Amino acid sequence: MRLNDLLYLLPLLVLVAAAILTMLAVAVKRNHRVIFGITILAHLVALAVLLDLRGIQASLPPLLMVDGWGVFNMGLILWTSLGVTMMSYAYFEQREERKEEYYILLLLATLGACVLVISQHFMALFLGLEVLSVSLYALISYLRTREKSDEAGIKYLILAAMSSAFLLFGMALMYAVTGTMSFPEIGAYLRSTQEIPLLFLTGFGLTVVGIGFKLGVAPFHMWAPDVYEGAPAPVSAFIATVSKGGMVGLMVRFVTETGGYRNTSMLLIFTIIAAASMLAGNLLALRQKNIKRLLAYSSIAHLGYLLVAFLAGNQLGVEAVSFYLVAYFITTLGTFGVVALLSDNERDADQLEDYRGLFWLRPGTAAVFTAMLLSLAGIPLTAGFLGKFYLLASGVNTQQWVLVIMLVLNSVVGLYYYIRVIAVMFAQPEQAPEARKVLHPAISFASGATMAALALLLLWIGVYPTTLVQLIRGLLVTFMASR
Amino acid sequence: MELTFFIAAAVAVLATIMVVTQYNLIHALLYLVVSFLAISVVFFTLGAPFMAALEIIIYAGAIVVLIIFVIMMLNLTQEDIQHEKEWLKPRIWIGPAVLSMILLVELVYIVTADTPDTYRSTPVEAQAVGMSLFGPYVLGVQLSGMLLMAGIVGAYHLGRQKKKVIHRFLERTDA
Repeated sequence: MRLNDLLYLLPLLVLVAAAILTMLAVAVKRNHRVIFGITILAHLVALAVLLDLRGIQASLPPLLMVDGWGVFNMGLILWTSLGVTMMSYAYFEQREERKEEYYILLLLATLGACVLVISQHFMALFLGLEVLSVSLYALISYLRTREKSDEAGIKYLILAAMSSAFLLFGMALMYAVTGTMSFPEIGAYLRSTQEIPLLFLTGFGLTVVGIGFKLGVAPFHMWAPDVYEGAPAPVSAFIATVSKGGMVGLMVRFVTETGGYRNTSMLLIFTIIAAASMLAGNLLALRQKNIKRLLAYSSIAHLGYLLVAFLAGNQLGVEAVSFYLVAYFITTLGTFGVVALLSDNERDADQLEDYRGLFWLRPGTAAVFTAMLLSLAGIPLTAGFLGKFYLLASGVNTQQWVLVIMLVLNSVVGLYYYIRVIAVMFAQPEQAPEARKVLHPAISFASGATMAALALLLLWIGVYPTTLVQLIRGLLVTFMASR
Repeated sequence: MELTFFIAAAVAVLATIMVVTQYNLIHALLYLVVSFLAISVVFFTLGAPFMAALEIIIYAGAIVVLIIFVIMMLNLTQEDIQHEKEWLKPRIWIGPAVLSMILLVELVYIVTADTPDTYRSTPVEAQAVGMSLFGPYVLGVQLSGMLLMAGIVGAYHLGRQKKKVIHRFLERTDA
């Protein structure tokens, strides 16, 4: 660890500095707008320094590894977190509670996710994961006056702590077998043995529990609907995107560097998890009348789709995972953004009834929401379609017929509940809604502009994906070469 | 030496099971302290005396503070002291006492044994722990700092409101 190495960690240092600065600013004087500005600025600066890291492959032994995959994921996480911040201002401005700590926790959670995607050591993995989780405990139950926030927070706290325990025990077992906690060295050990020791497999299985919980895939998905429902809408968006994306980034790195694709039992476990997630997510969403819960089930299904490409394990697979992550992040941010936008200061707009006739009342919002839902369903001309296409290509490429068929069938099932929401939006409103308290236009402008930008991005990637594909390929060169 | 490890480990498991199954908070805490002591002996037999000391100072120490907090919150009156007398029967304290006694016997044996070698490899001294913490793993130490910051900011925010929140299952519905 030399001083020079800190250059590679500049994005993380910017986040840390911003978190501390925010905390001190809160101590001096509470001002929502100033804190919001610092947070936005921190994200932009972190993204700017990240630009310099493209094409770099720097190992910071023993804990971290900055390479193309890490830089791609960090960029994605920072952009997404920026989006969440943008939609948070209007949302929290309506609430009477103290708003400033939210931004400190958001910055720290982003830091945790960034550490997760560049870790190459169990220790860094665990610390990153805990920074992310501990921030999320408080973020989920941030709005204390709402009755469901406590329930959601406690549920997440207990289950996350439990899954961390599984993860730790699994890591301890793997350490006991291999005598090292660094991913490349574990890979070297596994290559040197003929058969993978049973104890190592046990450890790996326990780790899958921890990973599966964070990803919210079946059968570790029970927490998702309750937590999504109870958490403030921007935080739900954060859990669905950054928290899951960070874990996907870590999982791909861990399995790639330890040569996990030669491990047939691992492939079997993940195949079952993928199929179960697709089925459980889609079937449970069918009868759902609560939009936030519906989105939670939909995200369970989407992570199942994502695992198809993850299981492919080749260059195409990693590319497909990256592309799908981008599409999924944009879409999820957009949908939760609309939910946040429509929420009033009493409660979140989470009932299907809240959306009745939305098209006639707020055509712009309804159009954005329609685009996002169509993308989730995988309709052509949206990013979601190309993402799903990419997944199918990688699945077919590696002959995973069962999963491919599951993916197609489930997409059809999924179409039903997305279209149902759209249909409700286009229905005539039953009665004129009572006038809502309208915020100052400049405040909702930040949210509105973010939504519009996300919708445009969605269409742009859906129509002209070449730029994104080239960006991903360029960043993945170093990662794929190192295998 | 191997046997001392297994005995201490067994005590740790037993004490921890008792922590989870006890209904009375104070009784659970008693077992928790024993559990920490046992884990400390485990560390000691594995050749990490520094970790063993830290375990006692931080965990057992912090837990004692926790007990004090609990007692402070209980707001003791004369009636409670009477209760305390009734509760403090041998049946309650004999369990933790026996387990602690086993650990004490072990410790005396380890200290007085002729061959002070550990279960495996050479002992890890405090200096070595410090060297690796502030050498290669310095980023990890700093990340732990961030973890604490997240915890404190979160606890501060969640702890300050006194709003009464009713669980949705307990809500009264006006039918």
